[in-house]
Amino acid sequence: MWASRLRSVSVMVLLFVLSLSPRLAVSASNIQEVATSAISAAEQSVAQAYEAVLDAERIGGNVSGLIVRLNDAADLLSEARMAFDARDFDEAIRFAGLSSEVGREVGDAAARVRVEANQALANRSWWFTGGSILGVLVVLSACLLGYPHFKRWYYRRLLKMKPRVGQA
Amino acid sequence: MVLSTTVEDEAEGWASMTFEDYRALFLVTSLIGVLLVASPALSLVVSFSSGVEKFSELWLLGPTHMAGDYPFNVRVGEQYSFYLGLGNHMGGSVYYAVYVKFRNQTQPLPNATLSEPSSLPSLFEFRAFVSDSGTWEERVVFSVLEASRVENSSFVNHLLIDNRTVTVGSSVIWDVEKTGFFYQLFFELWIYDVTLHGFGFHNRFVGIWLNMTG
Repeated sequence: MWASRLRSVSVMVLLFVLSLSPRLAVSASNIQEVATSAISAAEQSVAQAYEAVLDAERIGGNVSGLIVRLNDAADLLSEARMAFDARDFDEAIRFAGLSSEVGREVGDAAARVRVEANQALANRSWWFTGGSILGVLVVLSACLLGYPHFKRWYYRRLLKMKPRVGQA
Repeated sequence: MVLSTTVEDEAEGWASMTFEDYRALFLVTSLIGVLLVASPALSLVVSFSSGVEKFSELWLLGPTHMAGDYPFNVRVGEQYSFYLGLGNHMGGSVYYAVYVKFRNQTQPLPNATLSEPSSLPSLFEFRAFVSDSGTWEERVVFSVLEASRVENSSFVNHLLIDNRTVTVGSSVIWDVEKTGFFYQLFFELWIYDVTLHGFGFHNRFVGIWLNMTG
């Protein structure tokens, strides 16, 4: 009697465990996929942030602080990969999320630096162009006004000279 | 009319030039002046190449931070260290990746002539953003976790690099000439290409030889 009950309970437990195991496997597989896509998203975020930093740098923005933050994002990404390799997918997702966040912050900051650098470049361009136009006008005026003086000076010197023809 | 002719006065020295010569000199001087004062505006539209060669440095230094005392004779379970460094002279900030690979004497190294990386898989990677004229350096600690020896063959199964276990699965036979089981731990430098939106091999690599002694 007891043996029969025990057997039936065992079968039920076994069936229950067997019914759970595919779900557990699917769940593990899901979290692994989530971790993979989180790491991939973090990589993309960091790369995009780097491209934004390069854009800001190209037009003369100061990006030294942003490079430091990008290295922080890269370190977090590395931690995420390490956790993934150790099959600690929750940690991998957490680190990848942090890396993505830092990447986004850097991207936003780079966009601001770019706007500021653009503004500074526009101001500089105005000053340079204005200064150059003024300078060119001054030089040209000096040339035009100075040319008659130069001519007079030359002839005056020439008249003071004794030509070699006369002596021969 | 007479004034337009050449007047010779060697005592004065200057008069051997004609008025046309002087006028040309005046014009050239004026033109140089115009270019000088216009140079700030010209610099906005004309870019001059600096002529400086763009390159990256990749180096390994021993544990004492000198170019010596590199780990060579290695044993299972013992820790070894060295420094891996990068220098950026590319004219702007660069996103680098360094792939760590492990080979025996017969496995391929990168092909510097064809700019191709080694076909071996990467065991570990470092990533770094380096500003122009900046450097990046990291102390790398590694140990052989699991290795075995059967007659004249050595097998390295696992390494520990910066506290991360990596599977190697590499074997080598006894080198009769140099008397040892030689492996090479080498580092390939890759650079992020913004046009490709990915990393490309930068045609630089460094490595250290290891002799599995026990």
